[in-house]
Amino acid sequence: MLEFMDYVQSAFYAGSRWNTDNSYASLTAATTNLLDFRTPHGVRLHVSSLSSPNFATSYTLGNKGVVDGSFSFLFSNLGVKVASRSSAVYLGHLVRGYRHLQELRKPEDASAWETVVDEKVVQKRDALLYGRMYLPGSTLEALYLRRLSPSRLLSIRAVSGAQLPHGGTLLAQLQNDQGKYTTEYLCSTDSALLGFRGLYNFGYDPRDENSQLDSSAPAHPWDHKSGRLSVGAEAYFSPMNKSGGLSTGLRFTTLPVHTGIPYTMTLTLNPLMGNLSSSYAVKAGSDLSLCTRFDFNVYSYESDVTIGLELWRRESSTAWARKMLRSAWRNAPRPAGESTFVSSDFVMKQQDATGVIKARMSAAGKASLLWEGRVKELLVSVGAGFDMKSATRALGSVGLEVSYSS
Amino acid sequence: MAFNFNWSPLIADTERVRAMLTTALNKSPKPPIIVDDILVNELNLGPTPPDLEILEIGDLAEDRFRGIFKMSYTGDAYLTLKTRVQANPLNTYLSTKPSFASPQPLAASSGLTIPLQITLSDIRLSGFVILVFSKQKGVTLVFRNDPIESLKVSSTFDAIPFVREYLQRTIENQLRVLFMEDLPAIIHKLSLRMFNPEYQALEEIRSQAAEAVQPRIDPFADSSAETMGGERTPADGEATETYASFSQKNLLRLAALSESQRTLSLFTPAIRDTVYRAWATAADRGQGMSGYSTPNPRIATLSRLNSSFDRSATLSSTASITSGTGSHITRPSLVSNASAPTTYTLGSGRPRPHAQRKRKHRVVNLRKTAVENDASDVVSQSSGYDDSISASESRSKEESSSVTNPSNQIPSVLREGEVSTPPRSPKKIVGFTTDKADGVASSSTPSRRPITPLHKVIQPPDDDDPTPRASMVLPAKENEKRPQRQHLPRMQTLPSRPKGELYRSHSEVKLPDLSNAFNEGSTGGILEQAWMMKMASEIARRVAEEKSGGERWRRTSDGGTSTGGDAPPAYAS
Repeated sequence: MLEFMDYVQSAFYAGSRWNTDNSYASLTAATTNLLDFRTPHGVRLHVSSLSSPNFATSYTLGNKGVVDGSFSFLFSNLGVKVASRSSAVYLGHLVRGYRHLQELRKPEDASAWETVVDEKVVQKRDALLYGRMYLPGSTLEALYLRRLSPSRLLSIRAVSGAQLPHGGTLLAQLQNDQGKYTTEYLCSTDSALLGFRGLYNFGYDPRDENSQLDSSAPAHPWDHKSGRLSVGAEAYFSPMNKSGGLSTGLRFTTLPVHTGIPYTMTLTLNPLMGNLSSSYAVKAGSDLSLCTRFDFNVYSYESDVTIGLELWRRESSTAWARKMLRSAWRNAPRPAGESTFVSSDFVMKQQDATGVIKARMSAAGKASLLWEGRVKELLVSVGAGFDMKSATRALGSVGLEVSYSS
Repeated sequence: MAFNFNWSPLIADTERVRAMLTTALNKSPKPPIIVDDILVNELNLGPTPPDLEILEIGDLAEDRFRGIFKMSYTGDAYLTLKTRVQANPLNTYLSTKPSFASPQPLAASSGLTIPLQITLSDIRLSGFVILVFSKQKGVTLVFRNDPIESLKVSSTFDAIPFVREYLQRTIENQLRVLFMEDLPAIIHKLSLRMFNPEYQALEEIRSQAAEAVQPRIDPFADSSAETMGGERTPADGEATETYASFSQKNLLRLAALSESQRTLSLFTPAIRDTVYRAWATAADRGQGMSGYSTPNPRIATLSRLNSSFDRSATLSSTASITSGTGSHITRPSLVSNASAPTTYTLGSGRPRPHAQRKRKHRVVNLRKTAVENDASDVVSQSSGYDDSISASESRSKEESSSVTNPSNQIPSVLREGEVSTPPRSPKKIVGFTTDKADGVASSSTPSRRPITPLHKVIQPPDDDDPTPRASMVLPAKENEKRPQRQHLPRMQTLPSRPKGELYRSHSEVKLPDLSNAFNEGSTGGILEQAWMMKMASEIARRVAEEKSGGERWRRTSDGGTSTGGDAPPAYAS
């Protein structure tokens, strides 16, 4: 489950019309959402509030060590209009599962962001400020996001703590989204790490106004009309350590236009280390998603298979009535508004769910189970991790997280 | 002085050493580059033992030893370790950083673990090591400085020079830490397991209680196999007998002696190197020659020290130690003395089996308050004998020279008829007297030079009371009777104050008074003599009581050994 601050941050992205899916870092987002979910450790309590559309606070209390906790504040000059009460928030937005990618859009014109105030052109820049303080360890996290232009996003992250080397780290990222391709430049103060990421989408170029989407049926599933093939790469280099990393990846995903079962296939490769990872995620039904991933190392012949499952439980109060509706009426189309951009994070297709069960199992013997749902007005997340191959500790960790927001 | 190493058993049993070394290597948090546990694959200590050179011996007894050595090793020992390392530098880099500010690469930080085998060979060690051995507390070995001079690291990555150099550097640093910090603990545990059967039984079988008697004749064959670094305890041979172990011969002789007393048999076996009560009493009353005998123990101690080292070099002598015949210590030289001084020399200096001697303090001190100051004097005087073994040669010589001060004669003369105590029984107090004033000297305290008590001399307050007191003369006689070795196990042995000063102070202040007292005694009468003797006995008892509260010594300049003055007075004269 997303923490409240991450939820507000994704609302900020959606509100400023930034496409988080169009990045090499989220190439395997569907797989990682289904297979690499985080199970809680220990008991944790979250109390959050969106005091105003511009300001959010959150406090957490946990039992790691004797007691540990954190408090965080978020400010954004873009009003975040999203349901924030824990009784009203849509669970599908908090729990990330299979991601449906949205259509690619042309980056907006810079003039869209200009407003005239007092006969002066003022460019509105959406910005977000976030700070979090961890109490027992006195570690401070800070984040600054700024939409430099309709196609640029600058994010600066910093962590400061006494126990960290050099007292902390600063990471600066500049993301450039041109629709058909995106590039990212990042640099970190810790050992002067420099990085570059790039993603290229085959097929339809939204910038090209001449080429419109054909409304004809796709010729084959790999047609860009109903599926999107993307390729990307990343490279890191550290002049101080004289070390670096490199990886490349390929993804094919079906678009919502696709009539069959939506699926996503990814393949990532690390040529330096010889790591090969391929995954296949499918949304088997409206409430069920499945995913498998196969890792293999060509140098050390280590391999692993992981299987994941996500199952939603919907409210059944009006389910019987919905079943009787005609299929054409079941999914009512959304009213077209001015801003037709809806982030894939905030698509509301179905009735809200009361709970979701996630499970994963790997050939190495590690298994996890997670249940997240709403209990009365609280959002509860219960999870456990198992290690079948370990004789002494079969039950690795159990955790409970309770979250309340207003 | 030479050491004989029985090195071959070291190669035999390395299983336990390997297990302990594996635990020690994996105990501290590993750097993120090491993914798996570090396992010791092979350990071979090579055919050549290290060279040891004695620099200083701080404490030497049958069950204790402490010394500083200079150790150098240029042998063929090698050690093979096996582990798995992470080959992706980005993985190790990012795993230690907070995830909030990490770039979170998609696949560039995926890990690759590679098995690694490292062989450490051509180990060159050279350093100063403090070796502390105690029967109850085991062996402790501490390096004063970093002993590793060089070592060769070869691994499965030798083909890559960058990795080879990195491994050489990292492992050398880790080994330095291991030698300085972990090796003493390993050897201590191993020695406890080998030397102390109670510890071993406690570890292995909780239900069985181990016997206190350890009939081990040659522990080197077992214990030396456990010491990884090849450090030896050369004086173990002579220090391995416990208090409780009796020699067969002496037992038979004592049995025959008791038989003869019961059956009126005319045969009484001659037991060598014993002190009989009758001798002590007679010598006390008879001759005032104890003053002459005082230098003897000290000088004899030195020679004893040297000769004992020679003898301990041969392992075969361990068998003879328990026999109690005293063949290994310079008993012949002592026996050759005249009988009366023999009493004192025998009593004062020899490390004899504790079983033979039960030293009881049989003096009752009835005077509580006025004897306080005197007790301190008594204590200070007695200290010289306590520490003749622990003192270094130079200091011993100083003592001996100072003792020859003829003024010593007079106090000892006046001690006639005084305490006719037999030599005191050794207290089974274990551990080294590292600083001579601790209640429990733990042999695991690292690297303390054997502090010669002379440095901690606190001058006793001058006795301003001019009245002659038997207490002034008491301690020298006590010291003479005490066997040398028995002072060692005592926890709070007194520092040896410079003899000359003490005697000088006494002689300056008390000499006219004492002479007066003596004159008075000769004329005044037997009553006064008897009274003086009684006072002396009480003072001696007081001394024993004060010594048992030995921690006050440092602060209040009162002395005390930990012997209790609990023995009933048998010779209240």
